[in-house]
Amino acid sequence: MSNSNLFMKTGFVRAPLQNGVGRYVCQLQRIVFKFCKSHGGSRGLRDFIEQDLVDFAKNNPSVVVYLKPRRHRSAVVVGEYLNGDRVWMSVNQKTHSEITKWIENLRTQQGNLSEIRLRKYQYTDHPSIQGPWTPFTFKNPELNLAELPNVKFGENNRLPISATEQLRLMFEKQKLSDVKTAE
Amino acid sequence: MSFFRAGLQKLASVFRSSNQCGILSKSITNNAPVATQYVSNTASDIITSCNKLIEERSSRNFAIVHLLGKQWRVTDGDLLVVEGYWPPNIGDKITLDKVLLAATKDLSLIGRPIVQPGLVTVTATIISKGLSHTRTHFKKKRRKQFMRINFQRAQQTILRINSVVINNKINEPANNVF
Repeated sequence: MSNSNLFMKTGFVRAPLQNGVGRYVCQLQRIVFKFCKSHGGSRGLRDFIEQDLVDFAKNNPSVVVYLKPRRHRSAVVVGEYLNGDRVWMSVNQKTHSEITKWIENLRTQQGNLSEIRLRKYQYTDHPSIQGPWTPFTFKNPELNLAELPNVKFGENNRLPISATEQLRLMFEKQKLSDVKTAE
Repeated sequence: MSFFRAGLQKLASVFRSSNQCGILSKSITNNAPVATQYVSNTASDIITSCNKLIEERSSRNFAIVHLLGKQWRVTDGDLLVVEGYWPPNIGDKITLDKVLLAATKDLSLIGRPIVQPGLVTVTATIISKGLSHTRTHFKKKRRKQFMRINFQRAQQTILRINSVVINNKINEPANNVF
């Protein structure tokens, strides 16, 4: 699976002008519908304009809507955003319902999300609040004052008891019991 | 002589039977209630000091919230990108209720598995809904005349975390909102 190619830009999550901190501002500023009045390729867009465009403009008073009829050219929608992005989308030969969905997508996104690959899915100004972890967090601070080499900190007590050591201990024990029985 | 020895053994068994602790066991059990009282005092002390810390708002809060199968560490002003179908639309203000952990610099409230409903309020605004870049799924098996290429774009919703607030209600009985 490849998410990138040579020409794919990468980036991090950002929101223009601290959007959403105090209030939310719709990022789509201007939308231009380019279509032909006679050709069949613009049929879906013409249907959208006839049926839904007035409602769209009413519901989004902050968005400037332009209609640009042009003879014998394919249907296109162009959105312009607060961060300066311009999204060009061909809607030629698309149906009315498809166009409704794509325009909803243009309205709700902030800028051209699809041109960059996100490297992180979270952005924070405060990466650590309780302090970043180090190897010395939650450790006993007596190590700070100890003089090294130190018998206590240098002893090898991490490994389980070896077979040789176990045999030696058994032998010692046996010797002790021998002494007892002799008495 | 044997009678005397039997009497001694009886005496010893009496001491041994009293909780396997010897002669001092009685005095130890007398001390025990005092110790438990002390423990309960420390618990209430900790709760009052935590409440005080929360009230003072001396440091920034953060929380770990569960959102669409993922756990996010959030604090005020964070941006999150949630992938996949999710109904909230742009401009909606929502509260994230599955709080697994809430903490400030000096104290942490750990949920089992979520903290008590109503104790922590995490509010967020949806600022963008769009589609990701086109991801290419390319599969090929060598020498098997097999090749598939699929393209997909995921829905991406960007969230702004507005506030992470711990209400000053530690150790109060839970009122189940949900």
